[in-house]
Amino acid sequence: MKTFFRIIGTLVVLGVVALLAFIFVPVQRTGPVTQLAADFKPAKGQGEYVMRAGDCMACHTSEGGKPFAGGRAINSPMGVIYTTNITPDKETGIGTWSLDDFRAALYDGVDKEGHHLYPAMPYDSYRKLSEEDVVALYDYFMKEVQPVKAEVPETKLAFPFNMRFGLRAWNWLALGDAGFKPDASEDAMFNRGAYLVEGAAHCAACHSPRNLMMMSSGTNAKDAAFLSGGEIDGFTAPDLRGPQSGPQQWTTEQLAEYLLTARNAHSSATGEMALAIRDSLQYLTKDDAMAIATYLRKIGAGKGAAPVAEKAEVTPTQTLLTDAKPDMPLGPRLYLDNCAACHIVNGKGAGETFPALDGNSLVTAKSAKGLISVILHGAELPSTERRPMKLRMQGYDDRLSDEEVATLATFLRDGWHNKAPAVTAAEVKAVRDEAHH
Amino acid sequence: MARTEKKKDVVLVGFGWTGAIMGIELANEGLEVLALERGHDQATVPDFQYPEMIDELKYGIRYGMMEKPANTTVTIRRSLDETALPYRSLGTFLLGTGVGGAGTHWNGLNWRPMQSEYHLKSYVTEKFGAGVMTEDMTIQNYPVTYDELEPFFDRFEKVAGISGQAGNVKGKIVEGGNPFEAPRSDDYPMPAMPSTWDGVKFRDAAKAAGYHPFPSPGGIASKDYVNEYNMQMGPCNHCGFCERYGCYNYSKSSPQTAIIDALKRKKNFEYRVNSEVLRVEKAADGKTVTGVTYFDHKTGEEVFQPADLVILTAFALNNVHLMLVSGIGQPYDPVTNEGVVGRNYAYQITGGYTLFFKDENFNPFIGTGANGFCIDDFGIDNIDFAKEGFIGGAYWRAGQTNGQPGHTMALPAGTPSWGAGWKKGIGEWYGHSMNIGAHGSVMSYRGHYLDLDPTYKDRHGRPMMRMTYNWHPNEIRQTQFMKSKMEPLAKSMNPTTLQEGFKKEGAMFDVRPYQTTHNTGGTVTGSDPKTSVLNRYLQSWDCHNLFVMGANVFPQNTQYNPTGMVGGLAYWAVHHIRKDYLPNPRPLV
Amino acid sequence: AAPAPTPLTEYKPDCLKPTEWAFVMAAVARLIPSDGDGPGAIETRVPVFIDKQLAGDFGKASDWYMVGPYEPAASPLRGWQTPLNPLEIYQQAIPVFDDWCKATHGKIFAELDAATQDKALTSLQKDEMKIKPELREFFGILLANTKEGYFADPMYGGNHGMAAWKYIGFPGARGSYKEWVGKHNVKYPLGPVSISGERG
Repeated sequence: MKTFFRIIGTLVVLGVVALLAFIFVPVQRTGPVTQLAADFKPAKGQGEYVMRAGDCMACHTSEGGKPFAGGRAINSPMGVIYTTNITPDKETGIGTWSLDDFRAALYDGVDKEGHHLYPAMPYDSYRKLSEEDVVALYDYFMKEVQPVKAEVPETKLAFPFNMRFGLRAWNWLALGDAGFKPDASEDAMFNRGAYLVEGAAHCAACHSPRNLMMMSSGTNAKDAAFLSGGEIDGFTAPDLRGPQSGPQQWTTEQLAEYLLTARNAHSSATGEMALAIRDSLQYLTKDDAMAIATYLRKIGAGKGAAPVAEKAEVTPTQTLLTDAKPDMPLGPRLYLDNCAACHIVNGKGAGETFPALDGNSLVTAKSAKGLISVILHGAELPSTERRPMKLRMQGYDDRLSDEEVATLATFLRDGWHNKAPAVTAAEVKAVRDEAHH
Repeated sequence: MARTEKKKDVVLVGFGWTGAIMGIELANEGLEVLALERGHDQATVPDFQYPEMIDELKYGIRYGMMEKPANTTVTIRRSLDETALPYRSLGTFLLGTGVGGAGTHWNGLNWRPMQSEYHLKSYVTEKFGAGVMTEDMTIQNYPVTYDELEPFFDRFEKVAGISGQAGNVKGKIVEGGNPFEAPRSDDYPMPAMPSTWDGVKFRDAAKAAGYHPFPSPGGIASKDYVNEYNMQMGPCNHCGFCERYGCYNYSKSSPQTAIIDALKRKKNFEYRVNSEVLRVEKAADGKTVTGVTYFDHKTGEEVFQPADLVILTAFALNNVHLMLVSGIGQPYDPVTNEGVVGRNYAYQITGGYTLFFKDENFNPFIGTGANGFCIDDFGIDNIDFAKEGFIGGAYWRAGQTNGQPGHTMALPAGTPSWGAGWKKGIGEWYGHSMNIGAHGSVMSYRGHYLDLDPTYKDRHGRPMMRMTYNWHPNEIRQTQFMKSKMEPLAKSMNPTTLQEGFKKEGAMFDVRPYQTTHNTGGTVTGSDPKTSVLNRYLQSWDCHNLFVMGANVFPQNTQYNPTGMVGGLAYWAVHHIRKDYLPNPRPLV
Repeated sequence: AAPAPTPLTEYKPDCLKPTEWAFVMAAVARLIPSDGDGPGAIETRVPVFIDKQLAGDFGKASDWYMVGPYEPAASPLRGWQTPLNPLEIYQQAIPVFDDWCKATHGKIFAELDAATQDKALTSLQKDEMKIKPELREFFGILLANTKEGYFADPMYGGNHGMAAWKYIGFPGARGSYKEWVGKHNVKYPLGPVSISGERG
């Protein structure tokens, strides 16, 4: 039976506030944050670079569709939102948009006609783009992108979310000042990293928790919750700042390596992060990746200090696995029968090829969904210039039952130095079922 | 002609080891490169993935990864007066197919030939006199020296990712390595693999006997590894399903681990699978080739693919067959000893001892394709041909590769082949034996060659290739010499019992048991167009825009597994194509 | 635990006819007998394996070059040269061998006592009945298929319960021994795992 269940939790208040806003306040557009010289010309490739950093193409291109012609379906709790055609086509795209129109979409989330855009378009982050980057991006779209004539399906959300003016209320509360404010006490590299993380690369969209209003917590490192971990589609986007978090345990080099290649000596990126790297981050320069890494390590628990070298020691888990005694419990037995070949009895994996499972944030994540998903379906790393190999792990959905996956995952989450709660067969079943939809 | 495709700068026939090397190097040069591969596409996951891959019946016994004789095979005879019969089901050698070719299911044993092997003819005649050669022997020098090739051996070893222990770096002998190896410019890119108990026992016995054991060098990663193309390997776990299998662990050197994903990123590179090249097309004047015609198994059409440069990278036997059916170069006639294509075909001769130890545990399932220790004390450089009465040599190795019970089950002589006695035998002896093998050179002879079969046709109606080959007394003497040296060493290890397996006088070529896929010669490289098909750059003497890779270029077989040499020659050739040929296409010699 | 498989006596072969099935049952029971240590071919369900192999690509020689002309009487060193595929060899050789058993020992093979069966198999192995060259491979493939079925992964129908692997100490499809390479001359203790994940 399909559901006939409707959303709850919106209050009448919302309608009233939105209505008042709609009636009394004209739409406000933010102007340029700096006045550029009249003869300003973006550098060659700058626009495309900002586009990559902002990951515009991934959202605005549909499966198998023409670049930027829109039509990708974004599932939201309120229904499907279709991304728009942002090619410079005059009829169906943004070919008739002025720079001001374009900036308003990026800064204020309003289209040329003044309708509010759904925040699926991350304008709360793009609001921090510099005017130079906005112009470069505009230039890129108008001159370098092929115009494509293509209508996209209309977004039809269920009531009340189809009342776009309701977004106004949200915007008032969610959007801060436009433009990026460098931290004068930090160096240029830190500030370049901050500019990218808070702005174009919109890391917080996933890595920050949401408050009751579904707004990301904070828009910069001043807020302790900023980048302290979020959840996306049931998967954990891990904390990037805590003492146990990856970025704080890794060297700055390794962190940059992860962002550019989806892998480093500790970990590999899966799911949404693998896609963010595939579509966006791998195109950053090494310098920019280092800038992001420097910034992240500075705002973290380690304050940028070099991580402490790991102690070489043999854990009881490793001993249990090495002894290979027939009477071992099922968890380690499953690890030997399925995983140890690559991830090794010490749980350390191997360099950039096999990620470590000991101390891996995916293994110990709040939500075990990512771990279960990798066990069931495997995972594949994107091909990047610095690491072209599509390293892929096979899935075990044919070989392991729900109970076995749960037992194995529970073992991993409690093995070596890990300490995370057990996983149940029902959780595994839920992940397995989702794949069958 | 059913379909003509857009012209390419380069077309590669086959996408295995040599195809991948030529592909990435020429694509990096900016050329439009197309690789045509007759087999299927394959990648570690899902095609070699755990656990499906490690299935002895499917891959180890039924040869699931190999080209099926139903699709491609040869006919074989042992002498000129025998009627050749098709090699109908697989046995003595196994042909690769699909992306990666035999490079996906090899053992990884990786060698550079010994120093005498590059100029063997001169070495023999100058050092021992031409008289030590048998009358029908047709050995030749390579037209290129070790020193010229060394940088390219080094390059291939680093690309493929070879683990090993150097024995001679720039002339300095390094303890623990092979003191007899030719001087190398650099160490192996990865440390040697650890060995199982059998290898260690052999090492200790060899050392005690005054020999010079060293860890077996192989394309088996001993650690995580990143090569010059940024491609990666993970450390091998001695899974024991190496030869005949694709490595599920990203640990065995292969086009997949070393090259392919990097190559796939290049917009100017394309590969097409299920595309079987039927022949190379010659220009009207016969001086150049115009491209190739292939059969597209997906659409069932013949396709003409024009190209400025054609490179055969289809594995030794296939490269020779293509030259024969394309009519490029004069086919060899053993009666008149004239002609070149098909000449100097050679193979490999192997023998060894099995040692049984009632009270020792070898855990035979722990193994890799290149496990254990070797000695080169009986290598070709170390043999007095005049004294011993043969030309050649062998390297010895002990190191279990697998304990798959269906095809790897050593039982002491006298154990019944079935019934209660057999069952008792496997219970008693599985895991209690080890092997020492000698891997010997094979010279080339007037009577050993490849040509087109007069009777049998392949599925495209082309004449099959006919192989004429048998064991030659020179090699029998060589292998019996190895036996005489190995027996005392084996006995010194005090086995409960032991048994030998060396070919004896009168031994006929038996196509049934697997021996090796080290088929060499047929389009050899040389300095004289009368006795070679290719010049020193592996360029066809007849058509200057045709190059041919593979072990088919060896004038005679070396004492080693061929791929180290094949890879080194490929890098050597592509270097000269890039530097000398492309700027000015012409015969380079 | 997996449900118990169909008893061999009730198994419906995919391709073997009743008399052929009876022969295979009887022959493998002698080639790998059940008494003494270790499982026999019957407990490991080798007949099922053979039936399934013969019904599939192997039986049809799908992978082999099976185009004439044929020289079945060529030297055995020259490999498979009969025009028949393995299934046809079983189908044609079993009646021939049964006739020989009847003529020599008074009954068809399946009905002989064990000792006489062993004698008959030895005669077959030595080719005392001078079987026609087209059928020469019969004993060889019968024995090979029997051992294959004994040792192959259980998913092919034989090696039931991984019994043959357990008997000799082969860990099956584990394929992961990095931490054991250096443990020299120490017997590896852990039981096998099959491709489907069955643990032994």
